[in-house]
Amino acid sequence: MQTTFAAFGKRSLRALTRQKAVIAILAMLILMLFFKTNFYTSYNLLNVLKDAAVNEIIAFGVTLTVIAAGCDLSVGGVMCLSGIVSIQLINSGMNMYLAILLAVLSGAAVGFVNGFLVVQQKTEPFIITLGTGMLIKGINQQLTDAHPVSCTNMEFMKIANGKIGGVIPNLALYMIVIGLLVYALLRYTSYGRNLYALGGDYDVAKYSGINVVKTKWFAFILSGALAAVAGVLLSSKLNTGSSIYGDDTALMVKCGVVVGGTSFAGGVGGVLQSFIGLMVLQLLTNCMNMLGIAPYLQQVCQGVVIVTIIWLDCYGRKRKREDV
Amino acid sequence: MTKRFNLKDFLLNYLVLVAIVLLVIITIIVEPKFLSGENLTNIMRQFGPLSFVSLGMTFVIIGGFIDLSVAGIISLVAVVTVSLIDPLGQVPALIIGIALGAFLGFLNSMVLISAGALTQAEALFITYGMSAVYSAVALIYTDGATQHMSWLTGDQSVFTAIGSGTVGIVSVSFLIFLVSLGALWVFHNKTYNGRAISYTGGNKVAAELSGIPIKRSVILIYTICGLMSAIGAVVLFSRITTAAPIIGKGYETNAILSVVVGGTTLKGGKGSVLRTVLGVLLITLMSNCMNLLGVSPYMQVVLKGAILVVAIWLDNRKEQ
Repeated sequence: MQTTFAAFGKRSLRALTRQKAVIAILAMLILMLFFKTNFYTSYNLLNVLKDAAVNEIIAFGVTLTVIAAGCDLSVGGVMCLSGIVSIQLINSGMNMYLAILLAVLSGAAVGFVNGFLVVQQKTEPFIITLGTGMLIKGINQQLTDAHPVSCTNMEFMKIANGKIGGVIPNLALYMIVIGLLVYALLRYTSYGRNLYALGGDYDVAKYSGINVVKTKWFAFILSGALAAVAGVLLSSKLNTGSSIYGDDTALMVKCGVVVGGTSFAGGVGGVLQSFIGLMVLQLLTNCMNMLGIAPYLQQVCQGVVIVTIIWLDCYGRKRKREDV
Repeated sequence: MTKRFNLKDFLLNYLVLVAIVLLVIITIIVEPKFLSGENLTNIMRQFGPLSFVSLGMTFVIIGGFIDLSVAGIISLVAVVTVSLIDPLGQVPALIIGIALGAFLGFLNSMVLISAGALTQAEALFITYGMSAVYSAVALIYTDGATQHMSWLTGDQSVFTAIGSGTVGIVSVSFLIFLVSLGALWVFHNKTYNGRAISYTGGNKVAAELSGIPIKRSVILIYTICGLMSAIGAVVLFSRITTAAPIIGKGYETNAILSVVVGGTTLKGGKGSVLRTVLGVLLITLMSNCMNLLGVSPYMQVVLKGAILVVAIWLDNRKEQ
């Protein structure tokens, strides 16, 4: 037991130091020490976790598709869809938990279609999921007539807004539990190992006897389902479902995943990396809010940080290519 | 037997054309107003901004890249040009605006080249980040306020002509479109650099090994895309006479949509600006016809997404 813990620690340490995202986070944390703000209060730090939770949960799903050398840009639409579906079903008198289950299944169904198009029909994942995302956005607007809908059952709000022991937000707990489950799926099951294998080299994985189609397809289904879970949590947090959520979510989350070090070439990455990558973006927003930076300038900073980290990533790979 | 096979081949290759004809026939039957002179001029004007952006995007996609920053470029060029009309006069403002678009495109290509980012995925994220920067600069530049051309005191006859002038029944913007289409077609098919872009898209490693200057191709691709987006921006704000700092939002997806629906493959190497015209025509006619037929705007989004998915799927079937 001792050795596994030590090995685990060593492994995570090595993974961490290789990451530019970690350096970015440390830089921000150190920078905030020099300013007199409310950044270092337990309230604010817990708030960062709470605000990050929805995007993080989506990111865990997206990570699966990225590891499989795929990409899912429809998650923004799915997030919206599941929130709207769950609220409308509850409002029509359905049992709350059944409604949430159906909403998550709707996300899984979208993932199934994406998987069919990408894996079975071998289409380009970027553009096809952009298309399905657009389609779902239209469906969302049609369902709600482009009006926000709110839930009449107050129990629904408590799912995301409650606090455990009055301190830790529920959302943070959901994020951690789901993160650990996906981590275990990737790390300790043959399914997860197969996913890495086929992301690394699709043909080699295929000839080694892995059922590549099923494995990759399931990654898309999981990605859709997790986006739907996040959508239910977001709607519960705001007690509103609206078709305008999620316009930027897909690219933002994908950026976070890539910033964390999960390579879009596939086969590399993990839940921890994605968690850290998205944390960079979330912390950046929080820090800039704390420092009172104007919102438009915040957008500039965010763009510059994204471009810089991805630039460094590409540049590193270019150097490596030229050395070899 | 051979004849039937040819027909099937033709249909698969020109599916867009078939779709356009079907759409027009259905609309004429249900709503004869479609053929009225006003509506045809209207279609020509609606054809405007998107067609320019799509022409630029065609080169990016033929070259095997993608550009999400056109949204930011359109917004920034529009607000800068409108704000410069008063202090500098209209022609210098126009020139500066279009040069700015080309420069922003050039900037994209420099970031990509310096990073060695030669895949579509890397280009996607870098241009996404650049787009965030450009649109934020547009917001900062105007402090979030919409620029109205009616507030200007200077002469703006050129922009009025672009926006609402006609030569006979042909709108001025459509003429500009025809000229750029011709120029780009000649560039792509008849010049060395134009062909080099196709080779770059086909197989980057092979192209580089055979001595094709792929770096120059990347610079050209993105500069053309920025330039065409800037022209699109000018046509857009001339028509609606205001320039909001978020005016370009959504153009990136629509441009990619029309390029891909037209039949240029996303894998790069294959495609043509003429195909893109068909794609833009389908998207524009779809909006026009669905409006005439009274389809709800939400349903229109669903149909657009569905068409994109089906077009890519069919395109992929063709390859196999």
